Amino acid sequence: MAQMSARPAAISDDAYNARLEKIASSPEMREDNITLPYAGAMKLSGAMGVVGILGLLLVVIGAFVYNPKHALAAFEVGLFTVTAASLGSLFLVMIWNMMIAGWHVTIRRHFENAASLLPFCCLGLGAVVLIELWGPGREGSGVLLQWLYAEKQGTFLVEHKAGYLNPLFLGVRWVIYTVVWSFLALRLRALSREQDRTGDRWLSRKARFMSGWGLLITALTTAFAAFDFLMSMDYRFFSTMWGVYFFAISALAAVSLASLVFAGIRSMGRLTGVVTDEHFHDLGKLVFAFTCFWAYIAFGQYFLIWYSNIPEETYYFIHRTTGDWKPLFVALTFAHFVVPFVLLVSRIPKRSTLALGVAGVYMLVLTVADLVWIIRPMVYLGAEGAEAGPGMMGWWLDAAGILGVLGIYGALLIRQTASAPLIPTKDPMLHEAMAHKNYV
Amino acid sequence: MSSIHPDQITAERLAGLRDAPGDYVGPAGGADGSLIEDPAVRAPLVLNDRSFAEVTETVCSYAECGPPKAWLGLITITSLIAAVGTGMILYLIITGVGVWGLNNQVDWAWDITNFVFWIGIGHAGTLISAILCLLKQKWRTAVNRSAEAMTIFAVVCAGIFPGIHVGRVWFAWMLFPIPNSNGIWPNFRSPLLWDVFAVSTYATVSLLFWYMGMIPDLATLRDRAHLRMLQGRERRLTLPMPVGKDIVLPFVPSAERVAAYIYGFLALGWRFSSRHWHRYEAAYLILAGISTPLVLSVHSIVSFDFATSILPGWHTTIFPPYFVAGAVFGGFAMVLFLLIPCRQVMPGFKDLLTLRHLENMAKILLLTGMMVGFAYSMEFFIAWYGGNEFEWSVFINNRANPAEAPYWWAYWTMIGCNVLSPQIFWFRKLRQNPLAIWIVAGFVTVGMWFERFVIIVTSLHRAFLPGEWHMFFPTWVDILTFVGSCGIFATLFLLFLKYLPVFAMAELKAVMPQADPHGGGHGHDPVASVAGGASAGGASASKGVGP
Repeated sequence: MAQMSARPAAISDDAYNARLEKIASSPEMREDNITLPYAGAMKLSGAMGVVGILGLLLVVIGAFVYNPKHALAAFEVGLFTVTAASLGSLFLVMIWNMMIAGWHVTIRRHFENAASLLPFCCLGLGAVVLIELWGPGREGSGVLLQWLYAEKQGTFLVEHKAGYLNPLFLGVRWVIYTVVWSFLALRLRALSREQDRTGDRWLSRKARFMSGWGLLITALTTAFAAFDFLMSMDYRFFSTMWGVYFFAISALAAVSLASLVFAGIRSMGRLTGVVTDEHFHDLGKLVFAFTCFWAYIAFGQYFLIWYSNIPEETYYFIHRTTGDWKPLFVALTFAHFVVPFVLLVSRIPKRSTLALGVAGVYMLVLTVADLVWIIRPMVYLGAEGAEAGPGMMGWWLDAAGILGVLGIYGALLIRQTASAPLIPTKDPMLHEAMAHKNYV
Repeated sequence: MSSIHPDQITAERLAGLRDAPGDYVGPAGGADGSLIEDPAVRAPLVLNDRSFAEVTETVCSYAECGPPKAWLGLITITSLIAAVGTGMILYLIITGVGVWGLNNQVDWAWDITNFVFWIGIGHAGTLISAILCLLKQKWRTAVNRSAEAMTIFAVVCAGIFPGIHVGRVWFAWMLFPIPNSNGIWPNFRSPLLWDVFAVSTYATVSLLFWYMGMIPDLATLRDRAHLRMLQGRERRLTLPMPVGKDIVLPFVPSAERVAAYIYGFLALGWRFSSRHWHRYEAAYLILAGISTPLVLSVHSIVSFDFATSILPGWHTTIFPPYFVAGAVFGGFAMVLFLLIPCRQVMPGFKDLLTLRHLENMAKILLLTGMMVGFAYSMEFFIAWYGGNEFEWSVFINNRANPAEAPYWWAYWTMIGCNVLSPQIFWFRKLRQNPLAIWIVAGFVTVGMWFERFVIIVTSLHRAFLPGEWHMFFPTWVDILTFVGSCGIFATLFLLFLKYLPVFAMAELKAVMPQADPHGGGHGHDPVASVAGGASAGGASASKGVGP
């Protein structure tokens, strides 16, 4: 083992290796319990990929024959759902590394896999940047990013914000997000997989060090990415909470996706005795906690703007809470908070594979709805037929965009999942995770 | 696993068959044995292989010894300071709020600054007792009791200021929705009123949590006092003097009898039965669940006092989570600021509050410090991005720019103390050094007071018309009232250190390796814990989860 820094071992390598061997020889660690059946996974991945490609094709067709703004918005709703899930996964991996958590080890590999799709998400964001700057938009540039519209140039706010909201700087920021997120996600996953091969426990410490500064810059880049791609669609709107709001969406999307994935894996009879009801219980607690956190942040932002009632902020919400968007707003309030709160507060659904899997799907759908509520009102806002309503006629475009991105993301995620063991097999805290119990 | 039970080690040590505990420095764990860097091994939470009996002995000895002279000297000083503060409050009530430096423009200043400062201090206690409990952070057991105590005392100090700042203090009862003959009701639509409910709920739940957690330990103190009575080891009750001999009180029961009665009354008939423990655990978990949203709601509502307004510098949407993070930040700083000296002077404290505990808390300071740093930068960025020149003017001309802002020093003190000073914790050597942590904790405590001062005064002192601009200067009453509140806090904390169980003995024992003889992964012996871990994993597998 290469001695690259001071490694004051508290137990001898022999004792540690004996421990690893003991775990490796336990019946839960047999090959077919901790890996996905490769052929079956590829089949599922292929099917999802086909759905994804068909969906995206439909979006492209829709952009030319129906409405480019609507098509891009549909694509972005899907894209930000998966970006949120991947970013949230990256956050959670780093937080768990930092906290030297024990229980999470057997579910961490999925989060590493989901985070490792960030380069794919960044590719999508790059496509958005390209389409906004040079795409088939209104009079040259700007599709959903209003500050790029030709007729907005020269107005006070666009001029004022030009130091930040300009094409070049947007491109530079996209490069920064891509580099930072991709590096962290791929490096952390690589360390974890390297540990599978070498059994070097010091790699965990390396991952912890990286997670420290990683959390800091991921927090900053996430906030600014949320400003760039979501908040600045309406360049007039501003809210200091926006970065935290997107973080709340991300964390919830990540744990919801994990609930779905682990429910699927367990229902295939895999990970028996490795990811147990106890882990589901804790995963369920995280879904519950981040649902509440989302409600807290969303309410805090809405409430402070509502109470102060300053027109330069309220118009953003008035558009989204009145008229045709009102039903979605009311539905979000109840379906995104009240219903999951009541259902997940008790212990039983959190410990059930089926119930938590359903809850995961449900919360992902609600995450999509949340992003629809943020993004879609921009499509028919002040356009030719000003305030033309939500544009329900184009529902097929929304469905295609969302399913298209989710399909491709799912296909890639399944490939990632099948390409390595489902758990970090030689993590130094694996024994704690396998013995994990809640309050007994 | 090793065949020797840890209590057997103690027995051997007491029989002279083993070295004294002082020689033991854990498995390659740095300075005190708790700084293990090996990812395969959990750091021990209690050092020197202490047995359950030794933990009880250590913690109870603080409450059972006679008052040390140093303690008496300190509490004499702090209670004098508290008395000065009380005098200032009386002077304020008799004379009116004109004795403070408030003016037409700056109508909130030190009063509300102190209120938010103290309320924030309390949040570390609730975070440790509630959120860290839900996150199963076992190291919290070393600090939860004292941090929860600080919560109560801080809320006591915080409660003073809104009460006395209203002018006619005798009308303060009108804050509560009590029906009265004039049909005057408080304004339910004002966050200031929600504050009354939020803070009183917080005080109630925190007190319940603290007290309920203490019941088993109070019963231990009761039983020990009673045991000394039965063994005829009673001592006369004395009036302790800071200097000279204590005065023995005639015609009063013995110290043991008084202790047995008081602790016995407070222990509510606790008998250590399994049924008691079962209900205690359930109640503890419920209170932790209730306190978690509560700790977020209290400071969120405090932030609403400012953020629901339309005042530039106050109205910004990130205030709720930013205030909560700041409160936890300030609270942890206070916990460290008080416990590090205790650790130095109180015997046996270092075994229970290890360097690893301090390092963990230093990391939380770094994390929460960067959360407030994040909030500061978001505020600053959006102040520019929003394009509202009044908002920008508050940030530049009232706060940051030394050429324009008379309070620039307050702003930069805040940034220096809260954002820059914790950055030294990126270096392991420094975050494992108690002195460095103590100094930073002091800076953070100062910085968090200045944060509230900056938010309140720099936003208020310049209104939209320059004719309304007015500086705030504190009077001696302002200053002494705040100093007095520190005296009240310190006095209460000193009383706690002397008369109540400073560590949650019962919870502490539950995270010691002896509590888990079959290995849960926290033992000293990692191979032992893996043997237990694998078998427990097997047990859960046999229960059957998948098809």
